[in-house]
Amino acid sequence: MKKIALLSTLLLAGAAFAAAPKDTLVVQESADIPTLDPGATYDTASGSVVENIYETLLTYKGSSLRDLEPLLATKWTISNGGKTYTFDLRKNVKFHSGNPFTCADAEYTFQRNLVTNAAESGNWFLSDSLLGTPSNANDDKSITWAKINNAVQCNSQGQLVFNLPKPDPAFLAKLAFAGQSIVDKNWATKLGEWSGTEADWKNWVGKDLQGSKLNAQPSGTGAYRLVRKDANAVLAQAFDGYWGQKPAIKNVIIQKVPELAARQQAFLRGDADLIEAGTRANIEEQLKGKPGVVVVDGLPNTTATAVFMNENIKDPARLGSGKLDGQGIPANFFSDVNVRRGFAYAFNYAQYISDVLKGKGKQRTMLLPDSFPGYDPKVKTYKYDPAQAKAYFQRAWGGQLWKNGFTLNVAYRAGSVGAQTAMEILKKNIEALNPKFRVNIQAKEWSAMLNDSKAGKEPMIIIGWAPDYADPDNFMYTFYSSNGYYYPRSNWKDATVDKWLDQARVTTNTAERNRLYSLVGQRAYEQSPFVLVPAGIGLNVERSNLVGATAQTFNPMISFSYTGTFWKDLSKK
Amino acid sequence: MLNFIIRRLLQIPLVMLVLSILIVALTMLLTPAQRAAGYIRSEQQAAQLERIIRDRGLDQPFPVQYGKWLSSTLHGDLGFSKASGQPVLDTIKARLPNTIELSLVTAIPIILLGVWLGTLSALHKDKFLDQVLRVFAVLGYSLPSFVLGIVLLAVFYGYLGWLPGAGQLEVINQFSVGDLKRYTGMLGIDALLNGRFDIALDVFRHLVLPALTLIIILSATILKVMRNSLLEALSSDYVRTARAKGLPDRTVNLKHARRNALLSVITLGGFLIIGLLGGSVITETIFAYPGVGQWVVQSAGQLDIPAVLGFALLSALVVVVVSTVTDILYGVVDPRVRFD
Repeated sequence: MKKIALLSTLLLAGAAFAAAPKDTLVVQESADIPTLDPGATYDTASGSVVENIYETLLTYKGSSLRDLEPLLATKWTISNGGKTYTFDLRKNVKFHSGNPFTCADAEYTFQRNLVTNAAESGNWFLSDSLLGTPSNANDDKSITWAKINNAVQCNSQGQLVFNLPKPDPAFLAKLAFAGQSIVDKNWATKLGEWSGTEADWKNWVGKDLQGSKLNAQPSGTGAYRLVRKDANAVLAQAFDGYWGQKPAIKNVIIQKVPELAARQQAFLRGDADLIEAGTRANIEEQLKGKPGVVVVDGLPNTTATAVFMNENIKDPARLGSGKLDGQGIPANFFSDVNVRRGFAYAFNYAQYISDVLKGKGKQRTMLLPDSFPGYDPKVKTYKYDPAQAKAYFQRAWGGQLWKNGFTLNVAYRAGSVGAQTAMEILKKNIEALNPKFRVNIQAKEWSAMLNDSKAGKEPMIIIGWAPDYADPDNFMYTFYSSNGYYYPRSNWKDATVDKWLDQARVTTNTAERNRLYSLVGQRAYEQSPFVLVPAGIGLNVERSNLVGATAQTFNPMISFSYTGTFWKDLSKK
Repeated sequence: MLNFIIRRLLQIPLVMLVLSILIVALTMLLTPAQRAAGYIRSEQQAAQLERIIRDRGLDQPFPVQYGKWLSSTLHGDLGFSKASGQPVLDTIKARLPNTIELSLVTAIPIILLGVWLGTLSALHKDKFLDQVLRVFAVLGYSLPSFVLGIVLLAVFYGYLGWLPGAGQLEVINQFSVGDLKRYTGMLGIDALLNGRFDIALDVFRHLVLPALTLIIILSATILKVMRNSLLEALSSDYVRTARAKGLPDRTVNLKHARRNALLSVITLGGFLIIGLLGGSVITETIFAYPGVGQWVVQSAGQLDIPAVLGFALLSALVVVVVSTVTDILYGVVDPRVRFD
């Protein structure tokens, strides 16, 4: 009996240690942090740590996506018709290694990103701005050391100067991306990273930095320094030498807990302040209303999703008979605007919001998040209207479509319940219009869908986009331009839209850019190249003693999406 | 005996070579795009799919890809695991001791409990105790470890608050653990060797629930096997002869019959240890225990091929070593089984 009592005491001892201390932020999430090297950072999980250990030249002002404010820079000027950016850099800033921050560090950082520009990184958009191509020197032989060296330089006053081949109004927003954080040159070169000179630059072209030495031993200027990254946790501590205000939270622990039930238990007991809490349905059923739990709802959603209608289907196997005989479709089936409008009117947007988004969603006017600059809420939207859909289908293909019917093969990413439901809604409504209309839905593995749709083989898919930087070009060009990334999936080409989008890419006047994007939105409404899938409204959960994370302070471009703020802006009561 | 052991150890590289060819060949059944998709985390990166295939040589023929892998492996480089964000070798070095620590805590109770309960069950055949133990056995081997783990977590952590939840350490100890001198890599044991009893206690408290999950499930399997083999032994001729010679029941049951019945348990026990060391996949995942099992689940899900290959090599090593030890134990328990 004594033994049992002793064992119980031992087991119970330390139970009081459980709750997360006041000066410590405990976060539990399901996946690993892939890298802590800014040069390889492209995913949100890595970005959420990197942006707190390192710092970029500038960042978003509060929750705004339109206003940027200095961080490691103190101010900047744009000259030479929008092609030269000159940054004054903050003085008396130290890296975690103790090295002082100088212009040479910033120059090294951007040149390193241009030199490596690995396929897995987000450096393609920096290269696009500074070298005029998203490729690296392995893929584009016109890239030379001289070009890279000239693109980023320090002048005699210690200012950082970027020389762009043409104006890029999105350039500042690109610099706010966590992957463009400034690294410690002396520290990195001492570790054995690229020397920063012409001597070895070729050896580093295309090199994946995910597992670099800098990943294991980072040194940034951020408010927090890395203590340790082990199998299941990332530990950071407030940096004593930080130039800015001392953070209230001293310790940050990000623990990997793959199982949702285990994370929920920890959160409800107060052992974790923030968790990856799953879907809206899960949060509302399992966590909402429980003691000590606060749900922060109504957060902006910065993704955009569409059903693509491919106007030039390049795979005969996906066309059935390949004719308008009811057994298939011709390769240019969607080239008739009446077909596209028919589909747009046949989608039940309200049902999607109710079934998939649990009533928390909204229809957008264009494939651009409504919180982004350039979004025009006045552009018209399609509503579910079977009568209108029927009228357009009756007009399509000179009446042959309505008379003969069609069989259409559509695909979605396997495992995506939202995408599957959207396709099922469309199928049900289309087939209800005419018994000769047939829609076959197929779940496809992600890589197969990416490959086949990129090759223009898929007649209809549903796919989304998340932003790298808060500029409308990142969405509008991607979806609507015939040079955009998604073009091979839609094959929708409109010369006027292309012209407006190209113009917007080099227009620095914000009002004029917004006008151009509004025109693109209107034209897209008329031509209906996509069915716009309604966007969900975000929500987070946090412990009630956490201070500094509200819907008003939430910025969706901050990678630490649990609060939409930097760690240094948080405290606990 | 020594020759036997040497021969078995010499088999290890051969087994590993064959296994690695098989695994690399199996991964080649996936298209280059499928394998490249494993490196992609967002739609934006999908734009780089072709570059990833080219840069990583995923479109090269099998002998070239295998040759590259073998060459770097022989140089001690097992590649980089994107699931752990570390080189594969470093990941194994960091996680394997944790799995061994969990296995050490569980293996002995599993076998002792299983053998003891199995013996009790057989000796009380069809009596009340036997009925109870058989229910336990059925529950143990039919209950998924996933369900049992979640229930234990919900009750002892979530509801009662007696034991810690997922992970290996409380927050308060996370920051100080970096100061420990590492001797074995096993955190609890190293903490003891450093005189940090607070950390050791924390580690062992965190081990209770995952260990309990494994003990309940796996000892039930041993119980069942032990019961059946002991019943078989008890009805054999040599037991009848021993009883006829007037030997006491206790001596016959425990010395003669149980000794033979243990042969089946040793075989099964070997497999159980292989399973434990290979990573108690589900249990480690539920309890966020940083062992190799949790890592390999995530690696497989992400098509992290260097990690899967590294883990397969590790498993092969464990299988060969454990089966060698099992064979040796056979010889010790049953003198009729000897090796030249």
